[in-house]
Amino acid sequence: MDNELPSEFDLIVVGTGLTESIISAAASRIGKSVLHIDSNDYYGEQWASFNFKSLHNCTFSNNIKKHTENSSDLLNFNNDSFNIRNFSAEWHVPEKIGIYCKNDDSKNRQIESVINDSLKLEENNENSVFLREEILNNSRKFNIDLMPKLHFARGDFIELLISSNIARYAEYKSVSRILTWLNNQIEAVPCSRSDVFANNKVSVIEKRILMKLLSLVDKNDNTTGKYTILWGNLQWYNSYFLDSKDKTFLEFLKSKKLTTNLIHFVLYAISQGTDSTSCIDGMANTKRFLNSLGRFGKTPFLFSMYGSGETTQAFCRLSAVFGGIFALNQPIAGLKLDNNRVTSLLNGSQEIKAEHFVLNIEKAPVELVNNLKVTDYISRAVLITNRSIMPSEQEHLTLLIYPPEDKGNSVTLIEMGHLTGTCPQNFYLVHLITKQQSNPKDDFKHVVANLFESNYTHLQVDGKPNMLWACYFSIPNTSDLKLNDNDHLNVHLCDGPDLDLDYDYTVKKAKDIFQRIYPDIEFLPRAPDPDEIIFGEEEQSKLNDVCISETPPK
Amino acid sequence: MAKTYDYLFKLLLIGDSGVGKTCVLFRFSEDAFNTTFISTIGIDFKIRTIDLDGKKIKLQIWDTAGQERFRTITTAYYRGAMGIMLVYDITNEKSFENIKNWIRNIEENASADVEKMLLGNKCELEEKRQVSRERGEQLAIEYGIKFIETSAKASIRVEEAFFTLARDIKTKMEKKLKEASNPPKGGHQLRASEPQKKPTSWLSRCTLL
Ligand SMILES: Nc1nc2c(ncn2[C@@H]2O[C@H](COP(=O)(O)OP(=O)(O)O)[C@@H](O)[C@H]2O)c(=O)[nH]1
Ligand SMILES: [Mg+2]
Repeated sequence: MDNELPSEFDLIVVGTGLTESIISAAASRIGKSVLHIDSNDYYGEQWASFNFKSLHNCTFSNNIKKHTENSSDLLNFNNDSFNIRNFSAEWHVPEKIGIYCKNDDSKNRQIESVINDSLKLEENNENSVFLREEILNNSRKFNIDLMPKLHFARGDFIELLISSNIARYAEYKSVSRILTWLNNQIEAVPCSRSDVFANNKVSVIEKRILMKLLSLVDKNDNTTGKYTILWGNLQWYNSYFLDSKDKTFLEFLKSKKLTTNLIHFVLYAISQGTDSTSCIDGMANTKRFLNSLGRFGKTPFLFSMYGSGETTQAFCRLSAVFGGIFALNQPIAGLKLDNNRVTSLLNGSQEIKAEHFVLNIEKAPVELVNNLKVTDYISRAVLITNRSIMPSEQEHLTLLIYPPEDKGNSVTLIEMGHLTGTCPQNFYLVHLITKQQSNPKDDFKHVVANLFESNYTHLQVDGKPNMLWACYFSIPNTSDLKLNDNDHLNVHLCDGPDLDLDYDYTVKKAKDIFQRIYPDIEFLPRAPDPDEIIFGEEEQSKLNDVCISETPPK
Repeated sequence: MAKTYDYLFKLLLIGDSGVGKTCVLFRFSEDAFNTTFISTIGIDFKIRTIDLDGKKIKLQIWDTAGQERFRTITTAYYRGAMGIMLVYDITNEKSFENIKNWIRNIEENASADVEKMLLGNKCELEEKRQVSRERGEQLAIEYGIKFIETSAKASIRVEEAFFTLARDIKTKMEKKLKEASNPPKGGHQLRASEPQKKPTSWLSRCTLL
């Protein structure tokens, strides 16, 4: 095996976060030679998914040693100001609490009952295991996202996956229900017509008002952008919108005589807004939600199976298929300057030249981000529980929007079971996301208290699910920083994950950087399917005009 | 579209760079050996449908896309794989020693019950042989898997290798079908041919309001 990297490329991509990976794929796709390199030994940076043990023990350093030779012509990657911080993990069950498993085939264990007396457990039952051990032994079955994302079924990200043919590297699962916290309890959000009808918490009059509003938004249907919605249908605009354009969405909904419950569903859950969201944004978001209904499932959202970390890897795979060279766990040190121009990457003692450099924010040399300071953080929590927050016969993939409380921010909760490929059977994985206000633990305190049982006395068989394990951390929100305002025009910085539920904004940013480097070249044109590549004379002509016939298995 | 096969198996090729994985894949899928194009066009996966005991089996065989070179195979590569060909080069001792590492890698990333098979490729190069057949056999026995020496270049036993792996998966699968199991399932495969129907209108089928 040859271990030496080539010494010259068109593009060097440092870091394997989503934005960089999209750029890497796009550049390889058009025939550029790409080196994609990372100091970590895993893909994904702050977009990665970890198994249980690696998350539990994670230190979130960026694995870069400061280069000792303090030379002035080296921009050092060693910079920890954009790393994940405040990580803490805690067990919420005693070490020796056991469960009795009905079926001793280890794959299909049914947790039958809980044995409180650990002594009894040890004596009598070979089919019993300790709960903590059960989680640890199944570590690999967990794929825990640092930053879980959902995708609008008709959003830019899904369209890109399909149009570029990258969709073949991943599988998606529909979010099967949307819930919210209303009047101190969990309520299902009606998000399709049939949901509205079926909902017995909504009166007939409310149904009529809601349908009228939603069909209004829907009617105006050949416009999509945030602002074009205003002008799409003049009549509609005049009659319903003219007096509302300076209002908040909340005021608008009130003026349309929506009741408190309906306002809650539309404002917080469907449009994912707050009391101060403008009417324009609220309408656009509502429309976006409705537009994505009915394509793949009951809700507008898809989730990437085995975790969001798979997504970055899908782009890396495409990059590799088109010749990109990948190297992880590398001793990258920094960028070399020659006459003030960045010319090469220093990897160990090897210098590798390139025309352009794309860097993940965590690798940003201090010199390039001098005047940038992270002020915003994303609060994150991950819980492992023993049952769903709203058990039902089938296993659900759930999105719950917890509305703002006491001047706080709204909290997004995503609950997933083993059918998503992110946790073992008999457990649920719960992700909490919000804009950080004080610290992750405090930011989620009310949500955790209302939805979960965190003090172990016994395992709940009904009522709130037990929180068995939890971790908290903060991700710097770099999406609003002006990253590329520096003198080095051939160095391009990519930000980390943002607070959006989806990836659409990230796709836009990746595309912007790609087009800055390679103006006027198509961004991720459709990759041919393997059987379209015919070897021999007709090779070239075959690549373009074909229909899809083969797709990977379920 | 009518289904033209009874089973679909996802297979992977794994092993050091240069052992001939891509050539083995080409020999099996195109019955060709051409070394010029391979480095220029990345190979994603290849498809061949075979007949096995009266069943049509569609084999979808994925190549590493060169990501084995610096051991950067994505975890996503292993998802859903039902069979893995572990390939070494009989003229390269190191590639044989590394099989252990690749098996460890598989154990970390692939499903626990994935069917594996060991291939010693380039077997027509007898004069340059560094790894004896016996050592290959011995290693396979150690891991409880099957072993075949192949040559993509001279077209020796490549067919036999894939048919053997496919048959073992089929047997295992048919046995499993009898027992009920419950793996993660039901994900969407997104594709352009997905019906691009308009969003279900809130009004389109509204009769009541
Ligand atoms: N003599 C001989 N050479 C082979 C055979 N299979 C592959 N090769 C050569 O080995 C080299 C690497 O092959 P390739 O398929 O690219 O290996 P990969 O990196 O494992 O995909 C190429 O030069 C091939 O021509 C074989 O069966 N016999
Ligand atoms: Mg190859």
